[in-house]
Amino acid sequence: MPIAVEARSISKSFGGVLCLDDVSLELRAGEVHALLGENGAGKTTLSNILAGIYRADSGSIVIDGVEHSFGSPSQAIAAGIGMVHQHFRLVAPMTVAENLHLGWSKTPTIVTPRKLEASARRLMDEIGLYVDPTARIWQLSVGEQQRVEILRVLARGAKVLILDEPTAVLTAHEAQDLFRVMRQLVASGRTAVFISHKLGEVLEISDRITVLRNSRHIVTRGTAGATPRELARLMTGEEREFSVAEREATGPALLEVEDLCVLNERGMPALRDVTLTVRAGEILGIAGVSGNGQTELAEAICGLRQVGSGHVRIAGSDVTNATTRQVTSLGVGHIPEDRIGVGLVSSASVTNNAIMRHYMTAELAAGRRLKRDASRRFAERMVEAGRVQTRSVDAPAGQMSGGNQQRLVARREAMVSDKVLVAGHPTRGLDVHATQQVQAAMVERRDSGCAVLMISDDLDEVLLMSDRVAVMYEGRVMGVFSRAACDREEIGLLMGGHTTDHIDNVDTAGTVGA
Amino acid sequence: MIAGVRLARRLEVDPRRQNITRLLGAAAGLLLAGLLLLLIGRSPFTILSDSIEAIWSKRGVENVLRQAVPIVMCALGVALSLRMRVWNIGSDGQFLFGAFCALGISINVDAPDPVLLVLMAVAGALGGALWILVPALARAYWGVNEIITTLLLNFVALELIKWASLGFWRDTKSQVTKSTVLVEATLPRMWGFERLSIAVLVPVVITIVLFLVFRATTVGYEIDMIGGNARAARFAGVNVPRRIVTVMLITGSIAGLAGMLQLTGVPGSQAMGEGFSSNFGLSGFIVAALAGAAFAGVPIAGLFIAAMFYAGLVLQTKGLSVYIVLAIYAVVLIGVAIGEVAARYDLVRPRPHHVDVPPSAPAALTPTGPTP
Repeated sequence: MPIAVEARSISKSFGGVLCLDDVSLELRAGEVHALLGENGAGKTTLSNILAGIYRADSGSIVIDGVEHSFGSPSQAIAAGIGMVHQHFRLVAPMTVAENLHLGWSKTPTIVTPRKLEASARRLMDEIGLYVDPTARIWQLSVGEQQRVEILRVLARGAKVLILDEPTAVLTAHEAQDLFRVMRQLVASGRTAVFISHKLGEVLEISDRITVLRNSRHIVTRGTAGATPRELARLMTGEEREFSVAEREATGPALLEVEDLCVLNERGMPALRDVTLTVRAGEILGIAGVSGNGQTELAEAICGLRQVGSGHVRIAGSDVTNATTRQVTSLGVGHIPEDRIGVGLVSSASVTNNAIMRHYMTAELAAGRRLKRDASRRFAERMVEAGRVQTRSVDAPAGQMSGGNQQRLVARREAMVSDKVLVAGHPTRGLDVHATQQVQAAMVERRDSGCAVLMISDDLDEVLLMSDRVAVMYEGRVMGVFSRAACDREEIGLLMGGHTTDHIDNVDTAGTVGA
Repeated sequence: MIAGVRLARRLEVDPRRQNITRLLGAAAGLLLAGLLLLLIGRSPFTILSDSIEAIWSKRGVENVLRQAVPIVMCALGVALSLRMRVWNIGSDGQFLFGAFCALGISINVDAPDPVLLVLMAVAGALGGALWILVPALARAYWGVNEIITTLLLNFVALELIKWASLGFWRDTKSQVTKSTVLVEATLPRMWGFERLSIAVLVPVVITIVLFLVFRATTVGYEIDMIGGNARAARFAGVNVPRRIVTVMLITGSIAGLAGMLQLTGVPGSQAMGEGFSSNFGLSGFIVAALAGAAFAGVPIAGLFIAAMFYAGLVLQTKGLSVYIVLAIYAVVLIGVAIGEVAARYDLVRPRPHHVDVPPSAPAALTPTGPTP
């Protein structure tokens, strides 16, 4: 296959920190090339240089034997390299056709909605990707919005399409759709660069794999014959096995949810008669596709959402509709699903974020007086224990990398969770290494006698971590199983709302509320 | 861009650097104002020396300090609400209603002066709080935009004062037709000054208190958290609506108290009429913005504005048109504002690249933008 783009000895540093160290990459026409690496390995920096967002300190990009140095994304796309970012650059109130033509030199000066629509349809026919051109962006699913982004980049003549963690925002079904699109693109001679740290997806879709680690190029190899374990070793530089021994908990029930009914923002039932029990020293995993009531369950337990009927008890005391502070003071930690949006104040210092749960305790406050020195020391200890990398605890939390922000929240919440830890998708967006850290932290909480409720839409993770598994679908608990009794296929069916005729292995500690 | 130099946004803003750029901005503004004066045939140097002379006299200092009191107090209230991302545009209304309530006490209560003054101060603060109560509740519990509600209530307060000065509290004995009766008690003078009352101490005390609250208390921490991310504050267990109401009431009471101080502390303002507030609330807003909502900066910015206003008054008596005076204010303020923003950027010269597109590159591959 001919070479589409070659990056030669690219180096780039930010503020004295080397982010890419002499990295070379060769992309062939007609291949899906996976760029694999942990958070901070340099994947995004490299692709931003290819796409003209950053300028390399040294090195060159060669296309058809001509060396380039892009000063802007429009220069890169004129040379045939386009990027689809993780966070879409679309204008929500405008239509698909309008978004496709926005800021494009080939858009005619005088336009009518009908003209744009016709031109959008023409583009879609040419490329072979379809979205209703009259729909407004906010009306589209995340998967469809991504398709608009791809269309926009391809319309501008991109031969090489860089997709930055495209599956992070997609459901499993949407991810399969995306893979179909990618195969179709490379079949037409284009190149797709797929950035991810999800090994399964990389093995499924890519033709070749390049692994980056610590800003360096480690290896480029064909996907055929690669194993997840080998790739994980290349990414992390070490071989790790992570397994969690299943335990049968006999301790007291620390978290009890009984016939819980809760409404969502739109006033529709989000939880319907949910009954669950989590005992001291066990992890109850909630399996299910996102959006089936898991978020509302976590919020209702932690005092962040009004309970319609039913009860929540923490270590025997009723906290139904108690305030967040009352729930926290009983020893409940909560790693929220939207860690950055709900769990952190990005503009505030790391210290001010670290003390969020403890600022009223005697250690940090005397009456209304906040002890600033004690707070600082408290934050320094938390940062150290949680392996959070930050310049200083005085720096704004938003300046840390996403992974470090997550680690800070996870550590803080683990510290308050004497009795119960509610974790919503705790490893989402984390690389192999950080995932294992967070998982180990949850196991540590469990082993020290805490009841852990872990929500995850990654079935592998649920099956790896949980002592018992509850499956949720449309606000109902479809079944509760001990890990040993878990049958992947059956759980998958329940997640999709298919009830099996007879469920023999329902655990007695949790009841089926369907 | 000039010679390939471009602006780069800084990660952090150094406050000391920002103060320098602010001063530079003000200087640039003054320079522009000087050019403006040259254009209309006035000597900028005479104008400048006249202004400095006017401000730097005992009378000038007294005047500037006196005018700074209501401006700084309104600005402190605004800065406090801005810490929580709440925009109280209604300082003027709260100022007027606070003064109105204080006047009501003076008219209806018969007590020795010190007692009366304390009662009036309480009434002023409560009045200001009352004037913002409905916007506060509406914002906190139903998400009603406080910019609109507080702003509109300013006009209601203005009409109320007009009604009082023409109707129920009208001074029937005096020749002035559009004024209420005079206030019964006045604040004691500051030692060493003739026309300056002890009111000037109040904004100083409030500044110190607010500074300490935000530096070293859990309440200040909670308010900053709400300002940074209200959802996170709620997650951390803060009762966000209640805090919003409390803080908004406090900002209202500061403005209301300022109204009472104006009524009892400023000669010539001892009755209420149309000119009672000369847009102190609006000036306060500018001051809070100039200070970047940092409490320690508010009195400094307030004095700056008050001095500029006083110089403007003096220049008008010397025959400078009011429009030129307003234009000078604007140019100087814009200079300061640009200085503040400028501190967030660095001028950088990107390193030269040893790889460039050769001119022989095929058309389709030539980058569309200019190459360095």
